[in-house]
This record gives sequence, structure tokens and C-alpha cells, in this order.
Amino acid sequence: MNKNKTRNFCGRTSRREFLTDVAGGFASLALTGMLAKEGFFSSNAEAAQFVNPLAPKPPMLPGKAKSVIFLFMYGGPSHMDTFDYKPALYPLDGKTIPVKTFGRGGKKNEGRVVGPKWDFKQYGQCGKYVSDLFPHLGTCVDDMAFIHSMTADSPIHGSAMLMMNSGSLLSGKPSMGSWVNYGLGSMNNNLPGYVVMLDKKGGPISGAKNWSSGYMPASYQGTVFRSKGDPILNLKNVQGMGSAQQRTLLDTLNHMNEGHLKNRFDNSNLAARIASYELAYNMQSTAPEAIDLDTEPEYIKNMYGMDQDRTEDFGRKCLMARRLVERGVRFIQLYSGGAHNDDNWDAHGDLKKNHDFHAGNTDKPIAGLIKDLKQRGLLDETLIIWGGEFGRQPTAEYANGTGRDHNSYGFTMWMAGGGIKGGTSVGETDELGSMAVKDRFRVKDLHATVLNQMGLEPNNLTYFYGGLDQSLVGVEGADPIYQIIS
Amino acid sequence: MHWIDMKRVGLVVGFLATSWTMAAEEISHPDFTKSQVDFFENDVRPILEENCFRCHGGPDRRGAVKIKSEFQIISRKGLLLGGAHGPAVNVKNPAESLLLEMVSYKDDDHQMPPDGKLSPEQIGILSDWVAQGSPWSPEDIDKLVVLEKRSGSVLPTTEINDRTLNYWSYKPLKSPEVPQVEDPEWAANPIDAFIYHQLKEEGLQPNPKASPRTLIRRASYNLTGLPPAPQEVEKFEEACNPNTAWSELVDELLAKPQYGETWGRHWLDLVRYAESNGFERDSEKNHIWRYRDYVIDSFNEDKPYDRFIKEQLAGDELEDATIASKIATGFHRLMQWDDEPADRPQHVYDVLDDNIRVTTEVFLGMTMGCARCHDHKGDPISQKDYYRFLGFFHNVTQMNRQSVIENLTTAEEELELARQRQERSQAIAKLEVDIAAVEQGMFESEAGQSFNAKNQILVPNSRQGEQRWAYTTQKPEDNWFEVGYRINDEADESVGDSGQWKRSLGGFGNGAPGNTRPRTEWTSQDIWLRTTFRLDEIPTNVRLSIYHDEDAQVYLNGQRIGSFEGYINDYRTLPLSAEARGYLQTGRNTLAVHCSQTTGGQYIDLGLQVGWNDKDRAAWIADQGVKSLSESDREAYLSMTSELDGLKRNPVRGGIEAMMVQESGSQPKDTFVLIRGSAHAPGDQVEPKFPSIFGFPQPEIPKQPEGAQTTGLRSVLADWIASEKNPRTARVMMNRMWQYHFGRGICPSPNDFGYLGSQPTHPELLDWLAVQFMESGWSVKAMQRLIMSSKTYQMSSAPHEGNLAKDPENLNFWRFNMRRLTAEEIRDSIMAMTGRLNLKMGGPSYFPVLPEAVLATSSTKGGKWGESPEDETWRRSVYVTVKRSLQPPSLTDFDFADTDAPCPVRFVTTVPTQALNMLNSFFVNEKAEQVAKRLIEEVGTENLDLIVRRGLELALSREVEDSEVATCVEMMHTFENKHGLSRRESIDRFCLVALNLNEFVYLD
Repeated sequence: MNKNKTRNFCGRTSRREFLTDVAGGFASLALTGMLAKEGFFSSNAEAAQFVNPLAPKPPMLPGKAKSVIFLFMYGGPSHMDTFDYKPALYPLDGKTIPVKTFGRGGKKNEGRVVGPKWDFKQYGQCGKYVSDLFPHLGTCVDDMAFIHSMTADSPIHGSAMLMMNSGSLLSGKPSMGSWVNYGLGSMNNNLPGYVVMLDKKGGPISGAKNWSSGYMPASYQGTVFRSKGDPILNLKNVQGMGSAQQRTLLDTLNHMNEGHLKNRFDNSNLAARIASYELAYNMQSTAPEAIDLDTEPEYIKNMYGMDQDRTEDFGRKCLMARRLVERGVRFIQLYSGGAHNDDNWDAHGDLKKNHDFHAGNTDKPIAGLIKDLKQRGLLDETLIIWGGEFGRQPTAEYANGTGRDHNSYGFTMWMAGGGIKGGTSVGETDELGSMAVKDRFRVKDLHATVLNQMGLEPNNLTYFYGGLDQSLVGVEGADPIYQIIS
Repeated sequence: MHWIDMKRVGLVVGFLATSWTMAAEEISHPDFTKSQVDFFENDVRPILEENCFRCHGGPDRRGAVKIKSEFQIISRKGLLLGGAHGPAVNVKNPAESLLLEMVSYKDDDHQMPPDGKLSPEQIGILSDWVAQGSPWSPEDIDKLVVLEKRSGSVLPTTEINDRTLNYWSYKPLKSPEVPQVEDPEWAANPIDAFIYHQLKEEGLQPNPKASPRTLIRRASYNLTGLPPAPQEVEKFEEACNPNTAWSELVDELLAKPQYGETWGRHWLDLVRYAESNGFERDSEKNHIWRYRDYVIDSFNEDKPYDRFIKEQLAGDELEDATIASKIATGFHRLMQWDDEPADRPQHVYDVLDDNIRVTTEVFLGMTMGCARCHDHKGDPISQKDYYRFLGFFHNVTQMNRQSVIENLTTAEEELELARQRQERSQAIAKLEVDIAAVEQGMFESEAGQSFNAKNQILVPNSRQGEQRWAYTTQKPEDNWFEVGYRINDEADESVGDSGQWKRSLGGFGNGAPGNTRPRTEWTSQDIWLRTTFRLDEIPTNVRLSIYHDEDAQVYLNGQRIGSFEGYINDYRTLPLSAEARGYLQTGRNTLAVHCSQTTGGQYIDLGLQVGWNDKDRAAWIADQGVKSLSESDREAYLSMTSELDGLKRNPVRGGIEAMMVQESGSQPKDTFVLIRGSAHAPGDQVEPKFPSIFGFPQPEIPKQPEGAQTTGLRSVLADWIASEKNPRTARVMMNRMWQYHFGRGICPSPNDFGYLGSQPTHPELLDWLAVQFMESGWSVKAMQRLIMSSKTYQMSSAPHEGNLAKDPENLNFWRFNMRRLTAEEIRDSIMAMTGRLNLKMGGPSYFPVLPEAVLATSSTKGGKWGESPEDETWRRSVYVTVKRSLQPPSLTDFDFADTDAPCPVRFVTTVPTQALNMLNSFFVNEKAEQVAKRLIEEVGTENLDLIVRRGLELALSREVEDSEVATCVEMMHTFENKHGLSRRESIDRFCLVALNLNEFVYLD
């Protein structure tokens, strides 16, 4: 049979064929593999035909990391006030100098310098300079690798957010978490493989586009987790329905569905749907358990700053992230900052006030996360990424004040754990911090590094769509940043 | 000498060797001295090796060879041959070598190496080296790597050759012979003959006919997206002649308005319909819902498909254009659009590309977008073909939020409106004259004269009057703002353009932001303006009024008097400082301004005036002026002014507003191949042409009549696509129709009929249908009648052991494919079951209630999600607002179409979050209660058997078995007796179960 099978292109036929088969109603994208894992289909020959995107898959390369925690500093933290020490900038404070910038306010050739508003101190064995914004993170520098020469293609939030999350200035492309789940599958059937936690102020610009699965099936999109109350939408039963009552309901539903299945035994979608109710039922108990912090000892909570008002919220999310990592969730994204303007790191007006606020809320929680993962031996297999969609300019945006405009010509991101070489720094911006001048890296290089650490070959992790083998790093490809890989 | 690096040849596989004839060219090199070669080896080669080889001919970190931009720098020959951007060194004039320009980093878009600028020393070495004629060692002076071409004797699929010309989907359409089959039942309908013939060949047995209840449910969902009403099921089942009953049923369903809503939604999937633009503001595409209604109406009217194509692509240019055909051109405005792109010229092409992809994939099953940066990797489509195709769209105006909206009227309406407008403007003019006369009188009074003496407009802004400016959008000489700078005949306002300086009226901009009056279009990044005014004496109270978007610097007589950053949303009026006033002089004064913008729209307008402003004047009149009038005159005056106010506030309105296509005039824009797709690297110029593989006579570009608004190019393209000679159009649409009936297209990749797509399982059947389709006058409904009358369509979906073993994927259509309902069908069915589904058609979309948790994912409070009256929220899902950044989980959880790219086939995923949604969401539970209410109204609360039977009948459109009733009744007893639920609550729970049944969401 199968004389009309589609031809092979670049040796990657199966996935595309699989996807077009969806039209025939043959593929149940997420579940068949889960079922296979549960032994649901162990005696059913039909199951063997299905490729399940969310079933755990062996990595392409021997990867160091099993999970990613992306700490997204939305709005764009200022690199020269955080981790990119620019001593030459302090004495220039208030002087108008020629410098090429491009931000929300357009392209300019000169501007009034805003000297960095914090002092820097050296930390750790590596002697890394870190600003006084991050006294706790300073103590972790020997585990962190800094990329000081990041560049992005846009200094405008909307497109730059899409780029940092999905590698493209336009929407419609899958985000990094989708790619990781597509490439590796999920290790826990009872939890989503890709979790997003938002700031209490709101989502980022473009909302769900930032964790969208784009042209891939929705099974790969991020699931929003809330840190309090019902963690996932619709997780909680409706008012008045207890667990026993729900069991009665599900048993009846299963009974009816099994009767329906009897004469349609070959349709695995129907079986998958029956199973999905059981999985949902399990998720209703496992998801709250995963984020139930009552079982955590006080000293651990304190490590994350949960004992202090201002760090309680982000500390809770960081601790939840660790618990999700322990439960095999592949990709977790935490947003520091939401909505618009000073509700995130977008310091257009008062730099001091803005960064003191956001750094102060996150410094201890993030340091706690690194230390806690390390003491549990989990840091080696957990890749932490810190950064925003771009950095900020050395000069002021307005005639008055300390606000800095956006800067995609050069900014800093750092990584830790997951096979990253701690205590290293790569790349440089010029002495003003206005643009990357040495070892410039693009967002796709960062993406390539993440995929590589997860054991995925960035240029070979492809998905056929629109007549093209699409990839996160684009058709031109990208290499990992080898300088920071141990 | 032609040296091939043998070690690397084997490593690289692919199609990259695009222009290898070049490699064979002989390049001669001068003799270099030993010291020159040493200089190269010691100083130059290390720089090239470290910074350039990785991407341009040498091995990268993994040992693979990359040749980016078709350029190799590993030999002098490579340098001279150059790549996509031309030779890297200029032998005649070394200082102008591309290589030096790239490393200089002078141009933002052309910088090499990409990861950082070379040191000044390194750049110095390269300059010296190039100046010396780029000496190289003789050993590898001609070395080039050759990438392996796809080997084998097969002709490449990326060229126009015998293989590609004879590919099934490029071949001209001919009706194939219908196979002879012995079974007369399978011979009556040619569709059946084709299917049966292949089944027999494969040794498969067609499934028997499905039951009447299955059939009516299948047909009803298929054509209207809704379940049949119980009485319709009964009527159909009891019909005495099953055959005529079936064709009557199909006709009835096709005639229902819900048919257009369902099939229109398929089309909306293809054109990635959404009602917002995406990105930071995700602003609304105003009135775009009219396009959605147009699509629905078109299917309901059975508009011929060729006409449907022409209306969407060029409905404004049709000879018999109608309001509907103009609304159809909203097609060109559906894409995502960034109102604040980082790279504006590039985004212009992103938008064009988005529309080219949709046009070629949807109408032609062709992935032309792949040829934007290079020739297509699988199909015979060159990059040139892409830009020729782009030429048809190039004149379409850029997207914005205002000016793409037009007011559409019929001819009669237009006449009437014109009459009303004329009447209104005459009335206004008369009032203004009369009022002016009275006011003149006021100012002739002593108080008036002294007030009036204070005022003089020196330079009117565009709201105050017309002011001629000299302007340029190319950077002028440095002293352009000086008094001494002279544009020829600057003083003579009647003189026209002079060199780069043009003259026009003030109010320069793109679009019309609020409260402005643009008189001259300005779309570029920068604009420089100059004008002059005369003074007899130096006034003391001078005010500058300005509207700037964005940065502006203002010069008075060569001195900077103001610098404005960013953009504002209204005029600012500010007094000139004493210092600035000091620059004024009697006689001729020069006012100059430079405005530059980066993103968003642009606008610049300014004026200078002395003394009072309009507000002061009005205040004086109201306070002082009217006092000079007699009581009766005052009354008359006040009544005139209030009448004038009323007229001005109420412009004549009529017709309807719609977002539609527009072009920037009848003169086509020049179109260039963009090297590697970059708007900053134009290559050869091209003319609008059809893709070469089709071998069509190339288009004749019509001469446009005087005053035409468009080039007519889109009509040319539309006529070609909608032609019976086009081998793709009918096949592609016919395949889609088949897919929407059977769950899978005859060609399973409906948007890609090329070499990277899938092969059709029944190519002859597809061709036969495509020819029938055209012969029917492109009637979609005629083809649907034909398809649905086939036995193939009416087969059962039941499994069959023997067939399953041979053809588990049903490639041969031995049975009907089961399918899950779409997101909209699930949602609509739930609402239908309550009996409250609101079938109101058309109009603006509505906002269903969203959970707080979903609204919280937006960056703006509530996600700019609106509220709709309750009865609106009971309308069908096709009318739910489609915002790019925020969508209801009740749709997205069930694989709603992506809004950023064509969705030819919906995914069918099964994940636990769907179960959570169906069991726990507010929407489903609220509806379950409504179903319960309906059941109680119909059969009361006493008899649980009756309740369950009626509930399941409604949910499943079939007779319910006693055992099923017993199962559910038992559950309800448990709820009531064990869990202590009230009767009403247990009915609610039963209804929830009914909505969650597999049979409720899966069709046989």
C-alpha cells in the first residue's frame, strides 16, 4: 500500500506528512504518545503509526540542560547600570556628546549623557563588576556567564519582544519554548511542558503572541500559570462539584464514551479524548501540588526573599519554577515587569526609581533560585537566562531627567547553569555602552546557545511549513556562543 | 587553473551552487612581487581567515563550508568574481572597493564582519592591500570550492524543463476519461466511478451507505456548521423517497444563510482574517468586518469563483465595480502590520510579502514567498519571478489606520449626497460672508480697531490658511537654513520646482492625524522647509504654532529658535523668547524648519502670528464686539453663528465606510529584485510579469485613462489567476472543496501543489472535477451538489478490518472520515442546544465574556476587550471579535485558525486543557444550565428518563438506547442520593455530561 506516499525532502518527510494527515482526522497530536507511555496502546497495533510530538524524545546532541528558566526582564534593563561596567561614563554625566543612538525617539547623533546611577563592586573569584542594584546576584557571578555584546534588530517593544521570544520581528512564528517542547517532548504528562508566569501588573506587549506556537499545533504553546489561586485556567471544578462528585460524572462520561468507541475501535482520537479527561483529572491534583509551597521549609522560602513584602511575589514564582523543573517541565518563562512604562523595566522617565524598584524586587529571588538549584545539584541541568528584549542608551531621552531610551545596538544578557561556563564574560560594548563593538552576537546566537545546551542542533531542528524547513534560528542559521559553554 | 578543494566537496550537499558557471570563468592576475605576497601571507591572510572565511568559502566551526551571498573570499579569484552584491574589489579604483566599504561600517545595512568592526590597524592593512591590487599567493590564487549539485540524471525541479513543465499541477487542465466500472450503482456519478475504480485496483471494499440520521447530521454540520433540528431529522428519516429526500435536504441546507457563515469561515482561515493589526497597540482594523460579511454573502449567493477572485484582488478596478466588490479588496488589508517598525523600508516589503504569500498559496497552491531572498529551493520559481509578481502589488498604498478607509456609496446615493453637500457648503459660505460683514462692523468700532491692531498672521499654519513653502526631502547643503541661502527665485512664489527644492502648501505629512489639515504629502524620513514673510515693524508679541511628528528644529533668519523632540497630538502655541524676537528684521524674514521622523506617521506644520489668536478674537467678539450691535442685530448675529456652528458640526454623511485597497496613482512604481530580500540592496529592475513556469503570454499593461486612481495591474493579475487557462486555479479550489467535504484534500497539501507538497491520491478525479467546476460557471454550490450526491460522500465511516489492514489512512476513500467538530462548531453546538442561539447575521463583531485570567495576559488593562449586550453574545462564533493578541480560549483551545498565516487545514489536537475547558469553564457550565432549563421547560423535572432521552436526542440527533438512558439516570440518582444535589443541580450535571460526550464533538 502507500503507493502515493509523499516524496522525501531533505530526509524529513515524516513530520510534514504527519501534519497533513491531520486533515484526515488521524492524528491526535498531543496524546497518543502520552497514552503510549501510560501503556494505553500497548496492545494496540494502530498506535505504532503515530508520531507524538509531546512524547519525550532523545536529544540530538548530548545536552547538558534538561530545563530552561527564562527570566524575562521585560521593558529592557539598562546594561550600563546593571552588569556592563562603564567607568568612563560617570564623569560625562550631563555633558552633551556625539553618539549614535536609535530608540523610541528615533535616530540621533548626539545626546546628554546620564552617568550610571549606581556604583559597581567586584564580586567572586572572577572579579566581575556588578552594580549595587544586585548585591545578592553579585554573590553568584562565578556561576554566571555574561554576554555584553547582544544586539537585536529592533529597538521597539512590540517587534523586539517577538524577536527575543521567537526569533522574528513579525508574529506567527513559534516561540523558543515551543521549539524546545517540539524537539524534546515533555517529561511530565500531568503538567504542561511550557509554562509562563506573568507579572502581576499584566502581560507583556502582544500578550499571548509571546508564548505562541505560531504555525505549529497549539499543543506546543505556553500555558499561563498563576502564582496564587487557580494556577491554570479552568483547573478548579465549578462551584459545588467535589472530587467524589466529579468522579461519578467522569465514570458516567467514560462509560458512555466507551460505548461509542466500541464500533469505532480504530479511531485513536476517541480513545485519546477519553484519556484526556483522566489526565485532566490528574492535572487537577498535580498542578496545585507542584506549586504548593506549604511543604517548603521557611529557610528555603527566605532564600528566595519570600519573607519580605517586595520580593515575596517574584520569590514565589522563582520557587515555583524550581518545583516545576524538578517535575520535568521543559521551559519556564518568568516575566519581571508587565503592562507599559514603569510597570516594567522601560525606564524612560526616572531611571533610578524604575530600576531600584524592579531590581529590588528580583535580585534576591533570582540569587536564591541559583543557590537553591545549585545546592540540589540541579543547576547543571537547568539553564537560566536573564535579560530583556534590548538594553538602554547611555544618553537621556528627554531634556530633563535620567530616563534612557531603548537600545538594540548593544546590551547585556547572562546565563547560568545548564553547562554554561560560570565566571565568564564575552563581548564588549564601546566605552559608553552605546553599541556592541567586540564579538557582537545576535538574538539567534542566543537562541542557538539555548537549543544547543538542551541537546538540540539549532540548524537541524526544523519544522516544515509554508514550503520551507523553518527553524528558530532562521534559514541562514546560527552557531552557539561557544565562549560561554563549558 | 581551476582548483577544487576535494576534501570539502563531499561535505556539502544542497542546491547552493546557484551560479557556478561563473567559477569556470578565467580571471587573470598580475604578477605579484615576493614582498607583496609576504605582506599578504603575514598581515592580510590572518585577518581574512579569522574574520571572513567562516561564511565565505572556508570551513566553519563544524568543518562545513558556507558560501553566504554567493561570495567566496578564499582566493583572489573569489574576490574579483564577488557575490550577490558584486565584485568585492574594484581593480580600477581600489579605494572604491566594496570590501573596504563593508569593513568601514559606514552604512548601517552593509557591515562586515557582522560580529564586530575590525580594528583601525586591520582596516589600514586591508586598505593597503587592496590599493596594491590585492596580491595573493600563487598556490591558491584561483581556489574556489564547488558545492555539489543535486546529483543524478533527474532534471532539477527548480528549473523550467521537461520535468517541471509536465508536473501534474503545471500541466494544462484536460478532462480525463471517466473510468468504466461494472457496478451500475458506482457508475452513475463520475466521482464514484473514479473512486470505485481505484478501490477495486487496490483490492478494497467501499463501505456501505451511512444511516439517514448519520447522513443528515453529517450534511448539516458540513454545510451549516450546526446540528439538524430534531424535527428535521424526523422528517428526513420518514421521507418516502430517500433519494429525492437527500437532494432536497442538500438544497435546503445550501439555501440556508448559515451555509455562507460556515463556508465563508473556511475562506477566512485561508486569508488569515483578523480584525486588528498586531504589535504594541494591536489597533483595530476599522470596518474590516464588512469583508467578513462580503465573504459570507458571496458563498450564500454562490458567486462564481472567478468573480470572487477578481473582486478581492481588484474589485475597485472592475468595470462593473459595486460597493461589495470594493469591500472585497479589504483582502489587501488583512495582514499583520507594525505601525512602528524598526526598519520602515523593510517592513513595506514585509507587508507586500505577506500578501504575496497569501495570494499565491491560496489561489494558486504555490509557495512563492520562498523566493523572496533567493530562488525557490524546490520549485521552478526564481527570485526574479517573485519580484515580477510583487510588481502587480507595488503601487498599493501603505497600510495605515485612516486613509485606507473609504466612504462607499451607490451612484444614486452619491447624487443625493452631492446635492446635500453642495447645499450645505453654500449655506456655510453665505453665513460666513454675512457673519464676516457683521464682524467687520464690530472691528470698525473704536474698540475693534484697537483690538485688531494687535493681530497679524505672519505665516499661517495650514488650519489658518494657505502658505507656500519651498521643501525638499533630500538633504540640502549645510547652510540651507541661512538667510543667505538662495533657492532660485525663492522670493517669487509663482515659480515652481527648483532643483531638489519643490514648492507646495504647508501642512506636510502622511495621513491626517487629528486636528490637522495636510495639504502636501510627505512620506520620507526627513523634510526641510523654507518660507519667507515681510515685516514693516518689529512686533513684540509673536507666537509660534507648531505641530511636529517627530523631531523638529526651527530657524528664524538663520538662527535656531526652537528644537522639538518626539511627536505631539495637537498644535502647540508658544511665544517667541526675547532672544528669538531679536532675530526678526524689517523687510524679508526667512523661516526654516527641519523635521525628521523614525516610526509611525509623520506630520509637520507651523505658523507665526502676532497678537491675538482665534480664541482671543472669539472672546473679544462675545465680550465686546456684540455690544456694538443693536439688540435685533445682535439676535440675528447670534442666530447666524449658532446656525453656522450646527452646520459645521454636522457634515453630510451617507454610504458606508470600508477598509479597502488604494493605489498611489496610475503610474507604476519601479520594482527591483532585492538582493537577499533586503530593501536596502536593490538589484536589477523588473517589470510585472506572471511566473515564467506557466509559460503564459506576458501581460499587456493597460494604458490607464486620464485621472485613473490605480495602475490597473491588479486587474491584469486577477484576470490571469481567474482564467480557465490557468492550470492551478480550478484545481486548487476544487481540492479545497473536496477537503472541506471529506476531511482531506485529494492533494493533501492544499496550499502547496509544488514539489515540496504532497502528491494527489486521485489526480484524474481532481482534474475531472476542476474541469467540471469551470464548466459549471465556477459554481461552488453546483460542485457541492455533485459531490454530496455521490455514494462516496454517503458512505459510512465505520471501520472495516480488511480495508484497515490494506489502507489504514484511507488514502483511497474506502470510507468517510470521522472528524472532530471545529472550535466554532463546538461552541455553536453548545449554544444551539440551549435553544437560544442567536442567528442574527452580519455587522460588527461581538465580544464574548472572557475570564479575568485571560484578560490579565494582555499588556493593557482588560486587553481592550469590549463588552457586548447579552443577546449579542449568543451569536455564532464566526462573529466573535478576532484580535491578534487576545483570543477566547473557547476557540483557541480547540485549534482555531492562526491569524498570521494562511491556515489551509485546521490542526486537531487533543490535550487535557480541552477537557478542563469543557468541564470547568464558565462558558460551558453556564450553557449546561441553560440546556437544563430548556429540558425542564419541555419535559418537566419529574421524569428523569424523559429528561435524559430528550437531552441525548438533542445532543446526538439520534434515537437513544434504553441502556444509555439508564446509565445517565443512575448517575443522577447518585448525585441526588449520595452527593445531596437537588434535582435541578443533577439535571445541570447531566447536561454537562451530554456536552462532553465524544459523540457530541465527533461526527461519523
